[in-house]
Amino acid sequence: MKNLYKCFYALLLTTTGLTGFAQDLSSKIPADALAVATIKGKNLTELMSLKEFNTTFIGKKVLSTLNKIDPSLNNLEDLGFNLSANFYYYNRSNDSVTYNCFLAPIKNAKQIDALYAGDHKKFDSKNGLRTFYNADSTEIAYWNNEMFLFAIGGAKQSYFSRQDVMERFGLTSLNLEVDSSAVTVVSDTTYIDTAIDTVTVEEEVEEADTVEIDLAGDSYINESHKNIQKQKAIVAVWVDHMLGDIFSGKTTGSILSNKDYIASLDNNAEASIWLSGADKLMNSYMPDMYSFKGINFLNGYGAVNAKLYLEKQAIKLSTSITFNDAYADVFKKVYKRRVNKNFLKYMNEDKMIGYMAYAMDTKAYLQEYPKLISNIYGSFYADEIGMATDLFSLLLDEEAISKVVKGDGIFIFNGLSQKEVTFKSYDYNEDNFETKEVAKTKKETLPDFLFMLSTEDTRLLDKLIAYGTKKQMIQQKSGYFELAIPKTPLTLFVAVKNGILFLGTDETEFKSITGDTFVGNISSKHKKLMIGANYSAYFNAKKMAGKIPAGEMGSSKEIQKVNGILTSIGDIYLKSHPIKGNTLSGEISMNVPTNHQNSLRYLFSIIEDVQK
Amino acid sequence: MLQKKYKLFLLIFILPFLSSCFQIIEEINLTKSGSGRVSLTLNMSASKSKVASIMLMDSIQGYKVPDRQTIQIEMNEAVEYLRNSPGISKVEKKVDFENYIVSLSFDFKNITNINNLTSKILKKLKINAISNSSYSYNARTMTFQRSYRHSKEAVVQYNKLKTEVKNIFKEATYTSIYRFEELITNSNNPLAKLSKTKKAVMINAGMLGLINGKTDISNKIVLAK
Repeated sequence: MKNLYKCFYALLLTTTGLTGFAQDLSSKIPADALAVATIKGKNLTELMSLKEFNTTFIGKKVLSTLNKIDPSLNNLEDLGFNLSANFYYYNRSNDSVTYNCFLAPIKNAKQIDALYAGDHKKFDSKNGLRTFYNADSTEIAYWNNEMFLFAIGGAKQSYFSRQDVMERFGLTSLNLEVDSSAVTVVSDTTYIDTAIDTVTVEEEVEEADTVEIDLAGDSYINESHKNIQKQKAIVAVWVDHMLGDIFSGKTTGSILSNKDYIASLDNNAEASIWLSGADKLMNSYMPDMYSFKGINFLNGYGAVNAKLYLEKQAIKLSTSITFNDAYADVFKKVYKRRVNKNFLKYMNEDKMIGYMAYAMDTKAYLQEYPKLISNIYGSFYADEIGMATDLFSLLLDEEAISKVVKGDGIFIFNGLSQKEVTFKSYDYNEDNFETKEVAKTKKETLPDFLFMLSTEDTRLLDKLIAYGTKKQMIQQKSGYFELAIPKTPLTLFVAVKNGILFLGTDETEFKSITGDTFVGNISSKHKKLMIGANYSAYFNAKKMAGKIPAGEMGSSKEIQKVNGILTSIGDIYLKSHPIKGNTLSGEISMNVPTNHQNSLRYLFSIIEDVQK
Repeated sequence: MLQKKYKLFLLIFILPFLSSCFQIIEEINLTKSGSGRVSLTLNMSASKSKVASIMLMDSIQGYKVPDRQTIQIEMNEAVEYLRNSPGISKVEKKVDFENYIVSLSFDFKNITNINNLTSKILKKLKINAISNSSYSYNARTMTFQRSYRHSKEAVVQYNKLKTEVKNIFKEATYTSIYRFEELITNSNNPLAKLSKTKKAVMINAGMLGLINGKTDISNKIVLAK
C-alpha cells in the first residue's frame, strides 16, 4: 500500500521545478486502456518551482511523509523520478481481471532503488530491470533506467465463479444445494445451522441484512479462503506477464493508435482524464452485480474527457462526453431551448451572490424520454419497457405539460437572513428545582432567494393557489400570494407575471415585481452566460463573506476564518456549451485574484488558508 | 409529484440552514420509603423548524423518518410495557407534536424498579441506546445512589454517525433533578447543584460530554436521618 502512496506522491511531485529531457511514456500505455489520467510535470513546474513547492503546506506534508519512509530523503528531486515529464495512471480491464497501473518517468533509477531499500522492501534486479512483489504478488512494481510501472491486479468474481473457469483453475465450487428448512430467518439476521460443507444462501436470505453461517469444521470458510488465495495467485501471474510484456516491448499497439485519445490531448492542460467510453467502464464492472445484468445505465454514453487548466487568470476544468447518434439526437432536441430573456429584467447583480440557470425543452424531453428508457432497459425487459413507454406517451399530453412548465428556470441566491422564532424550554426555580415550561426565542438563519420559471398556461397554478387560499395556507396580497410553510419560520411569496412564475423570500422584491417598479441590473457578461448556455451558474464568494450569522459557526475565530477564505476565493462560473456533433461539453472556472502570480500558486494559498 | 419536489426543495435548500438541538430532562421525586415518581422528557422544541421539515420526508441521510402515527403507536407500546412492569403504576405520556416534546412519567414502588427500564423503553422505541446506569436507595443509611459508567461503545456509535447528525448532539443537553423529602447532607458529584431548600439536586450537562466520557453524572446523595 505504501507503494501506492509513493506513486501518488510521485504524481504530486510533478509540481516541482526541474528541467528535464523530453521523456514521454504514453507509447507504453496499451491500446486497450479503458481510462488514462495524465499529470503534466513540465506545465506544473513552470508554474511553481521545486524550491517554492517545498515551502508550501502540501510540500512540507509530502516531505515529512517521505521522511518517515526514508529519513535521508530531504529533497523531492532525490526520489529519482523525472518530475518535469508526464506521469500517467491507466486502467485495463477484461472479463477476468482489472489492472490499475501507475506509470512514471525515471531520472535516476538508483534513487528509486534506495527508496525501496530505505523502506525495507526487497526487490530483485536483473540486467537493469528491478522487480518488486508484495506479499501475495497482486501489487507489482517494475522499473529500469527509463520508467517505473506499478500495477495492482483485481480478480473479477463473475469470471472466477463460472463453472468452467473453476474447473480449469482447480477452484472448489461453493454452490451446493442446501435444505431450505435448515435456514432459519430471525428478524434481520439469518443463521444457518447445518453439517454440510458448502451452501448456496442467495435464495433463502435475499431479504436479510446480514448473514451468519455456522458450519461444522469451518470448511466453508477454509475453502472460500483457499479459492481467494488461488485467484490471487492466478492474477499475480497475469499482472507479472502484463508488466513483463510492457518492459520487453511485446505489447500489441499503444494508446497512441487510438484516434479518440489523440484527439483528447491538449498540451495546455496541466492534468487530464480520458475514458474510452463511460458505457465500457460500466460494462466492465456490471457483471459482478447480478440484478443489473443486461442493463447498462450508460448505454449510448461514449468517451469522456476532463481537463484541468491552471491559467494565469483562472482555474478551469473542462469536461466533455460523446454520445452515440441516437442519444446525441435526443440531447439536440431537448437542449434547443434557451433561458427566457425576460428573467434578466428581474435580476440585480449588485444584490445577488450567485445563480443557477437551466433551459431544456419540456415537450421534447417528454417525447424523447421513452426512447432513453428503452435504450437503458430495452435489451433486458424489451416487452415490458415497450408497453410502459407507450403507456407513458399515451397518458401524457406533452404539448399541454410543456405549456405549464416550459423547461427553463433560474434560481438567484441573494444571501442569508435571520428570523426570530419562539420555542418551549424549561426553567427551574432555585427553591426546589421545580420545572416550569417557558417560551424562549432564538434566531433561525434562512436563505434569501428568488426562483423564476417560464410558464404559459397558469390554469393549474391558479387552481392550486385557490385551493391553498381556501385551506388558509395561502394569503392573497396585492398582486402576489404569501405561502406559509407550517412550523417553519420560512415565508414564501408566489406571483405570476409576464409568463414567469416567481417564488421567493423577499416581500419587498415581490411588491416591486408585481408593481412594475423592479429595477433590474445585470451586466452583458452574465446575460451572455445565461442566454448562451443550457446550464450556467455563478457564485461570488466575496459577497457571501460577512453575511453568515456569527451564531452559525460556533466561534468568532471560526467565522473569521470562513470569511477570510470566502474573501480569497475568486468568482466561480459554470457553463455548458451547445452540443457539437455528438459531443456535449461544459466548463467550470474560478477567477484568480490579481494579487496572485498564477493559478497554481493561488490554489496552494487557498489550501494553506483552509488548513490554518 | 409536486409534493415530492416540495420535499426535495426543503431537503436541499432550507434544511441545512435550520438549527437543531434537543434537551433530555430526568426528574425523580423520592420518598423516605424509597418509592416515588419519575418523569422523562425529550424536548426538541428548539429545533422544531428542522424536525417539522424532516417529518415531511420519508427518510433523511439514510435514516428512516417515522410519521406521527408510528411515533404514537410506539409510544403506546412503551406505555403498555411500563404498565406491565413490576412496581410501576400511574403511567402517563404526553406527546406534543406542535413543539415536539415527548414525556413519560410513572410511579414506582421502589427505586430499583426503574433500573434498566430506560434502556428497555428506548429499545421499545427502536432507539439504539447504551445505558450503564442504575439507581439504588438505602432507607437505613438514607443514601440515594445514581451509578453511571461511561461506555466506549457510545463513542464508537457516535463516530459512526454522519457529520450532520453529529451536529445535533453538539448543543444537546441532559438535565437530572432528584428531589427528596429529607434534607440533603452530602452530594458527591461536583457538577451537582443544591437547591435553596436543600432537598433537591440538579446536574446540567452537555450530551457530548456524556458521549465522550468527559462528564460523569453519577452521584451519591446522603439524606439527613
